This record gives sequence, C-alpha cells and structure tokens, in this order.
Amino acid sequence: MKRNKWPYLFCAPFLLAYALFMVFPMCYSFFLSLYDYNGIVEKHFVGLTNYVTILTKDRLFWKALGNTVLIMGMSLPVNLLLGLIIAYLLFRLAKGRRLFQVVNFLPYITTPVAIGFIFSYIFDWHSGIFNSILVHLGILNENYYWLQHPWSSRIIVALMIVWRNLGYCVTIYLSGMTAISKEVYEAASIDGASKWRTLWSIVVPLLKNTLIFLFITSMIGGFQMFDEPVQLYSGWSAAARNIGGPDYSVLTMIWKFYDDSFGSNTRLGYGAAIAYILFVIIGACSLISFLVSSKKEKDA
Amino acid sequence: MNRKKIYGIVVYAILIIFSLVSLFPFYMMFVMGTYKSEELFRGMPLLLDNYFLENLKTTLAGGFVRNYLNSIFVSVVSVIASLFTSITIGYGLAKFDFKGKKAIIAIVIIGLMLPTQISVIGYVMEMRTAHLTNTLWSVICVWIANPFSAFFMMQFLQDSIPKDMLECARIDGCSEPRILWAVVVPCIKPAVMTVATLVFLWSWNNYMLPLITLNRQTVYTLPLMISNIAVAYRQDYGAQMLALALSTFPVLIIFCCGSKYFVEGITAGSVKG
Repeated sequence: MKRNKWPYLFCAPFLLAYALFMVFPMCYSFFLSLYDYNGIVEKHFVGLTNYVTILTKDRLFWKALGNTVLIMGMSLPVNLLLGLIIAYLLFRLAKGRRLFQVVNFLPYITTPVAIGFIFSYIFDWHSGIFNSILVHLGILNENYYWLQHPWSSRIIVALMIVWRNLGYCVTIYLSGMTAISKEVYEAASIDGASKWRTLWSIVVPLLKNTLIFLFITSMIGGFQMFDEPVQLYSGWSAAARNIGGPDYSVLTMIWKFYDDSFGSNTRLGYGAAIAYILFVIIGACSLISFLVSSKKEKDA
Repeated sequence: MNRKKIYGIVVYAILIIFSLVSLFPFYMMFVMGTYKSEELFRGMPLLLDNYFLENLKTTLAGGFVRNYLNSIFVSVVSVIASLFTSITIGYGLAKFDFKGKKAIIAIVIIGLMLPTQISVIGYVMEMRTAHLTNTLWSVICVWIANPFSAFFMMQFLQDSIPKDMLECARIDGCSEPRILWAVVVPCIKPAVMTVATLVFLWSWNNYMLPLITLNRQTVYTLPLMISNIAVAYRQDYGAQMLALALSTFPVLIIFCCGSKYFVEGITAGSVKG
C-alpha cells in the first residue's frame, strides 16, 4: 500500500486545535500549579506547596468538597430513582410518550444561569412565590429566609439539579429500555409478572450498564456544579451577592476554584492546583465506581 | 377493567404533574414577561397581559440586542468550526489505515474524560498573551476541537459509509477532499445535526469561561447578560423575565426542530456502556 498523506491531513485540523486549546493549556496549568503566581508579580517556584496547603490548611476547600458531595448525595439518588420510575411509566405508555419526553427534557437545555435566576426568584424571602404560597395556605406564619440558611440553601441547589437533570436521566433510561428486546417483556407478561415486578426483577438488572453510565456522568457533572449555585446568589437579589451562600454552605469545588483564581483572589497557581486535585478526585471516583460495578459482574 | 382504567389515569396524572413542574419556569418567563412590574406582586399571573411591548422596549434598550448577536455569533462559529474539525478527523480515522491511528484515537478518547477545568487557567493565560481576552474568539476557541464531536463522527462514519462507495469515487478520479465533501457529507446529515445541536447548546449556555475572559458589556454573551440582569433593569421584574425568555428562545427552537438528533447525541454511548 502506498503511503497516503490524506489521513494525516484530515486529522491535522482537529489535532492542531486540540493541542493549542486543550493540551497546551492543560500542561501550562500544571506548570503554574507548582508556582506562586498571581498574574502580575513575577512567579516563583514553590514545588508542591500549593497542593499541600490546599489539602492540609485550606479548610474552605474541604468545606467545598463536603458541600459538593452533600448536594450530590441529595440530588443523585433522587434523579436516578425518579428518572427510572418516570422512564418506565413513559415506556409503558400507549399514547403521548414522545410529547412527555420532550417536555420533561426542556429543563436540561435551558441556560443554567436562567434557572438559577428563576429559582432565586421563586425562593426569595420577600417577593418569592414559594413563601407567598406557604403563607397563603397557612403552613408558614411568616416568610422564611430560604436562601439565608445553610441547609435550605443546599436543598434548593439540589432541587435545581434534580429539576434540570431529571429529563436527561429519563431519556437515557428510555433509550436503554427500548434497546432491550421485546421478547423479554413479552415473556415476562406471559409468565404473569406484574408491570412493577418486571421493572425490578427484569428491566433493572438488564439496565445495569445504563445505570452505571448515568451514575458516573451525573457524578462528573455534580463535581463540576457551578452555574446554578452562583446564580442563585447573584440573580434576583443582586444586593445579596456573596461567595458561597450563607456560611459558605453552597460553595462548590468549582466555585472555590473560580473564586480563588479569578474572583476575590487571583492566585492562579493555587487555582490550578485546585483544578488538578479536582481532576484526581473525579478520576478516582469514576474508576472506583467502574471497578466496583465490573467486579460485581464477575461475581454474578 | 376498572382498576386498569384508574391506574391509567393515575399514570397520566403523575406524568402531567411532572411536566407542569418542568414547564413552570418557562411559564414564569414567558407569561410574566408580559406584565408590568407592579402587577406581578398582586398574585399569581395566569394569562398573558398587555405589557409585552413596553417590557420589550425596556429590555432592548439595555444593550440586549448586542449581547444577543454576540451569543449567536459565538454559537454559529463554534458549530461550524467544530463540524469542520470533527468531520475531517472522523473521516480520517474511520476510513483510512495509517501509522499512528491508534494513538490518535486514544487521544480523542482520553479527551472525552478530561474535565475542562484543568485547562482553564492555562487557556486564559494563553488568551491574555494573544490579546484575545474581551473578544468573542476567547470563548469560541475552546469549541474548535471538541473530543465528543470527533468521537461521535468517527463512530457514525464507521457504521454508515460503505468502503465500496469511496472506492468507486476514487476510481472515478475524485480527489479526497472532494469525496469527503460530495460523497461523505451528504450521507452523514444526522450526525451533522447531532453535533451541531449539541455544540450550539453547550456554547450558548457556557457561563464560566465568558465570565473570566469577557469583562466589557459590549462583548457579553447572554448568560453574562442574564447574570447582570438585576443590575441592568433595576427593579423592572417584567423586563427581567422577558430578557430571560428571549435568551432561552433560540435553544428551545433548535431543540424542538432537532429533538431527535439531540436525543441521539445525548444517548450515544450510554447503551454500549
């Protein structure tokens, strides 16, 4: 076979752009993470000091990690379970499946910033709809500061994530359920299994890969949470603009990263180190969940 | 029989409730955008009001059109650039055998797994050095080489273009770029649609990068505009809502036209695991 230049030429544009806008910045970030650098004053080499400081001295970093995990711990199970049930209801639906699927998918495509804004409006202390409904129904005696208390803020952020990602989960589940051969469902119904029994004993085990996929992608997305919590605290009531919400309770990892490198501080080297630690955490979590799931397969 | 009927009704009721919850913020944006600010607090608005044009005037006065055009420019250019790089590399990897092919595929797959945050700081420094901060190019460049698009195109081309067809074109004396443009591209329209809708959505909704690189109101994209909305329109909540509605509008349209391709892209890879 003669040497062909074309495949190389075809790969070149992507590889060039990729090297320029991803690989190089990535390496440069790592390089910077070993320096004390604020973008203005001359940088000087500090080795792994940034990493050590983050992991041992920066309490806000651990708090941010905790918040991220907490919010994920609230939103992820709800999304996975509720998504499964709704997807199954839709799957069994004779009419209107497509319509419901499209409608439930809409939140996923909405600009996250707009969602944060809307939620900050709904839960606003003074003018929010949520308070006025609760007071109207007599559940609350007076307006509650939803966005000023650590736990209610976290729950609201989790709620935003659930609201936004539910349609995504439903869609992924649905495509998984459609991929299972029809005979499986027929066999189950001939054997007299009820719809829900079919779901738990037949569909869920067959959807194992889909579930793992959803778990890992939702987790990666969860670690990168940024737009919604930020907007919740800078949207409707711009006066209350603050970092991380009440008592830093919704400060997520990426928010911390952003704030240290481009927000209240410009410690670029430090920020780069946070990004790399985050990368390691995400990688480790994905790997662990992948290994755990494939180990179970072997045992079975 | 009766029990079945009740069950059916309950299922529909549940689904309708969830759909209403999904739609509620859209309702808020689109309906409340037609109200006068003071009217909004008199109680829950249900129907469209007649203040739409007034709100529109306020909204458009705040530099909104400029930011809107910025966003459209960013998304359109990102889509075109990303399509170009992903189609070419997809074709190269799917239909040729050459030295180094495996390594390039590995690069693309690893790229799928890297979170963008690890490159942000280096990228911003790069943009500063190139004097591209406060220009729209600083938020476009990240989309030029998108590993997902490349991977998706490669997979799609592998399955959809028979080698015989390419051989025929070659025997007829077509040059390779011409084959790609005239033979391959018309056959992969669904994949083109999928990549285009996804990249459009991602670049349209992107928030953190513009927040870092764009500091002047004239170069703001919509998410930045929205995050400053409370400042821009002061206490005019009707105008704020309308601005939100207008900024969500393009993605809604694109999604409604291309929801099939959209879902295809989102679900790609999930079934295989």
